[in-house]
Amino acid sequence: MGFVSDSPEFGNRNSEAFVVLMNLTNLIIISIIGAGISSIAVQIITVREFLSQFSGNEITISLVLFCWLMVSGLGSLASKFFKKKSVTFYSILALIIGLLPLIQIIAIRFFRDTIFIHGESPGFYPIFFFILILSAPYTFLIGFILPYSLTVIRAKGREFTSGALYITDNIGDITGGILFSFILVYFFNHFKIIALTSLLLILISLVLIICLKRYLLFLVAFLSVTLFFALAFEKRFELWTLSNQYGPNIVNYQESPYGRIVLTKEIEQYTFWESGTPTFSTFNVINSEEKVHYPLCQLDKIEDVLLVSGGMGETFNEILKYSPRRIDYVELDPALIKVASQYGLLSPGGKVTIIPTDGRKYITNSNKKYSAIILDLPEPDTFQINRFYTSEFFDKAKRILKKDGILSFSLIANPTYLSEVRVKKLSSIFNTVKKYFHNVLLIPGEEVYFLASDGKLTADIPLKLRKRSITTSYIDGFYYGNVTKERIKSINESINPDEFINTDFHPRVINIMFKEWFKKYGTSPNWFIATLIGLLVFYVSLIKREEYLLFSTGFAVMGVEMLILFSFQVIYGCIYLKVGAIITCFLLGLLPGAVLGNRWKKRGKDMLIMAEVGMILLLMTYLIWVTFYQSMMPEIVFFLYGFTFSMLCGVQFPVAAEIIGEKKSPAAGLFAADLVGAGAGTLAIGTLLIPLLGIQAAIIALIFIKIASTFVILKR
Amino acid sequence: MKRHISRKEFLKEMGLLSLLIAAEGHCLSPKNKGEEKADIRGHVFKNDAPKSLWKWSKEGFHYTTNGKDVQCMVCPNRCYLTPGDRSVCRSKINIGGKLYSLAYGNPCAVHIDPIEKKPLSHFYPATLVFSIAAAGCNFRCLNCQNWEISQRKPEEVHHHELFPADVVRITKEKNIPSIAYTYSEPISYYEYMYDTARLAREEGIKNVWVTNGYINKRPLEDLTKYLDAANVNLKSFDDDTYRRLNGGRLQPVLNTFKLLHEKGVWFEMTTLVVPGYIDKPEMIKRMCGWILKELGPDYPLHFLRFSPRYKLNRLPATPVKTLELLRDIAIKEGIHYVYLGNVPSHDAYNTYCHNCHKILIKRVGYNIAEFNINNGKCKFCKTPIPGRWS
Repeated sequence: MGFVSDSPEFGNRNSEAFVVLMNLTNLIIISIIGAGISSIAVQIITVREFLSQFSGNEITISLVLFCWLMVSGLGSLASKFFKKKSVTFYSILALIIGLLPLIQIIAIRFFRDTIFIHGESPGFYPIFFFILILSAPYTFLIGFILPYSLTVIRAKGREFTSGALYITDNIGDITGGILFSFILVYFFNHFKIIALTSLLLILISLVLIICLKRYLLFLVAFLSVTLFFALAFEKRFELWTLSNQYGPNIVNYQESPYGRIVLTKEIEQYTFWESGTPTFSTFNVINSEEKVHYPLCQLDKIEDVLLVSGGMGETFNEILKYSPRRIDYVELDPALIKVASQYGLLSPGGKVTIIPTDGRKYITNSNKKYSAIILDLPEPDTFQINRFYTSEFFDKAKRILKKDGILSFSLIANPTYLSEVRVKKLSSIFNTVKKYFHNVLLIPGEEVYFLASDGKLTADIPLKLRKRSITTSYIDGFYYGNVTKERIKSINESINPDEFINTDFHPRVINIMFKEWFKKYGTSPNWFIATLIGLLVFYVSLIKREEYLLFSTGFAVMGVEMLILFSFQVIYGCIYLKVGAIITCFLLGLLPGAVLGNRWKKRGKDMLIMAEVGMILLLMTYLIWVTFYQSMMPEIVFFLYGFTFSMLCGVQFPVAAEIIGEKKSPAAGLFAADLVGAGAGTLAIGTLLIPLLGIQAAIIALIFIKIASTFVILKR
Repeated sequence: MKRHISRKEFLKEMGLLSLLIAAEGHCLSPKNKGEEKADIRGHVFKNDAPKSLWKWSKEGFHYTTNGKDVQCMVCPNRCYLTPGDRSVCRSKINIGGKLYSLAYGNPCAVHIDPIEKKPLSHFYPATLVFSIAAAGCNFRCLNCQNWEISQRKPEEVHHHELFPADVVRITKEKNIPSIAYTYSEPISYYEYMYDTARLAREEGIKNVWVTNGYINKRPLEDLTKYLDAANVNLKSFDDDTYRRLNGGRLQPVLNTFKLLHEKGVWFEMTTLVVPGYIDKPEMIKRMCGWILKELGPDYPLHFLRFSPRYKLNRLPATPVKTLELLRDIAIKEGIHYVYLGNVPSHDAYNTYCHNCHKILIKRVGYNIAEFNINNGKCKFCKTPIPGRWS
């Protein structure tokens, strides 16, 4: 092994035996694994943290991943120019990387409500800069340390290749992914997860410092670590960091696999917050009455009612006014049901069955027939929610409705004035649902309610309620004044019959929702996109051919990861539970790929081209499936696909490193190319191509990118 | 040669790191209290005016010019526009050294509403009001429910064509007693409102102004000649909150109340109770104290329940108990008529006589179940009830 005992940092020969035992370079290698474990967990936690602070849509997710990968890339690049080769410096760096995530999360929570106005959702650019600034210190260091570790190891005289480093890092990433997704997320909140996943890195750093006999430094480090763990495991401290956003009256807080659940109580009012958004407050009579009575009063006879989400508060009491035989209530997150029940916010009674599962999955698999299906879901501004507003979904919903049964849901729109973008949104959904129902009626209440049925529909809700002798608090007195005939006519006439249909694999409404979001802030992403493209073109023009190959591979692998996440989401819906498994599959694939690449790296260019062709073939298979089949596919197929694709990517890293030559120390440039490509791929595929042009266009774009990189290698 | 980092160097590096963190913290830290306060007020849109006027343009009222630049004097923003600029409210432009309104005869929202929806509880109850709005607003409220018209330029919205005479004609044809200038901010389409109100008055139709009250004295004095009622938002009683949530200032709004009172225009006040901002009992007490001193106890005050919307969507709905508490405070302080809004079926929708406390108007939403006012007096104790009654 390449331990160098005569390093000036190890001048004390008396300690040699101990140091040999510990083997300094081995410690550094273990610390790379530790950094991998920590970084994956911190990455997922950071995404969840930002989602809880800002709009929980794919734009935020993509921005976090984009900033993460880009700044990591910059960090990697910076290490190329950093000449100091010091184990002490490395140890300090590793320790800081171990401790920083907690500070980062606290900073996100603290600065969110000090920089922005409390309660405000900021727009695209403020979110982008906030994410960039607050995540940059950690991501820069994590990008820096990887190639820097190689420099330090080599400086100690040990042979260690970029490929081997890549493999080591992957081992850490995989361990971190598995630990977070399959164990920690089910049992711990964010602070504890950070502490547990940083443990290895912190311990190794401390051991390194001891080995270096830096006792003063060790004292400082030890005190910092003690404070770190004390804070991370102190529940009251974690709650205190949340009080900026939620106020001091938090009665329950937990991180479920689906997001952050917070329950606050102010005077007598409970408010449920899901991932930072207040989704329900007690005494919300208007919402309960509108969502229940508009559809149910249309039916002569009501037997079984299916309610998808929104069962808290007065909802069940309003449904029970129709004396249904039973109510099935589907709610995705068991943790939400548990908390709501614990605080008496969900008191269903004997006729109600609570089904903790994904609504679409339930509707797809159910053999029951319902008189009415009531969806009470957020706006379709995420892939997760858009699945409930597509042609495929409405088809499934119709299948489990009785003859002349009714489906209802609502979308945000202001009936006082319908903007162009909202007309597009309403029209797209209207045309989509109209494919399956003879009658679709829009009622412009507090939100715009869609009623879809083959039976007759009427907008005179109070009349229908009077006939059934049902009394209400809101509808009785306010309906005719707010939902005027003229407003009903106007909204129903505003529908454009030529607007696109919204489908699973061509989610037009997400595109419209993104436009609406940008309209709200009077901004456009065009500057951002143009700057980004300019910078990428500049970057690509500077890098070596092999680095371009890795750039395109990073782009493709993240693009494919987005495609898989999206397809999986559409088909199975339980993406939040499986996202860890999918990411882990991608990470797992890289490992054998890198091992194979390391073994066959002497084959050089041929090896690269083989991997390229393999990727193109895999992408074409995906395209054929999406275009012609779109059928249900066993989950394992997606996992295997991700594994295989990333294995081909993994092959390329050591081969490209070999071609450029280890002596030129290519790790920094290669890591940077891979990370920058991955960042660009995430943003381009996840945020732009899939929502704007659909999944097929995204695959075709990836095929073109890979064909281009193949040509670049062929021309070498 | 590998370089050894000395303890001194290490300490130096840590010191630098600390400085860096401190510097970052300083950059990110909230502004010191008392120094620069968060202010979301709008700005003039430089070189944003269309090249030429359109059909729905009208030379502005109340502006000054030096032949090249103009200054709009309608609202306290007092936008100074060089040629080609557009005002904060997005409706006024400088073309050729003259101020023009682009919101004249082109309402983007036209509806018929119950008068109670404005809300006005003491102004001809259970009547209808023809309601119009053109695009634009001189505020930037984070919780605006009509942001798609208030935060847009007149050219960006689709609109009807209804010039003042058309508005009056239709209102008359439909036999509706009043016209409301509402939804967005009517101050931004002042000229359109003023001309319509003047014609309406000639035809015996009443004019209702639903506003943030952010207007200068002279234009308001002119407008009051034709106004019959107003609902003015008193968004807060704290200047900092006005700047932070609305992009305006408190004092001009208070001046508006005083002038309306002085001119004898009937008005009601609306306060949206935003949790964490406008729910402090102490502030409400101060607010009521000012109202009693300057305006008297008779103008109704409406506390509305907030629900998350537009950009201010990360706050919970106002607890009903908070609204009740604030209502109790206002009544205790001496305001005679305090209502709650956005809480269906609440007793505070009803009107109670301030003298005998019996129900004067029992409301079921916008409908009236009981009406106990005769000739403007309480049917039970004969106390005159402030307001405008048929």
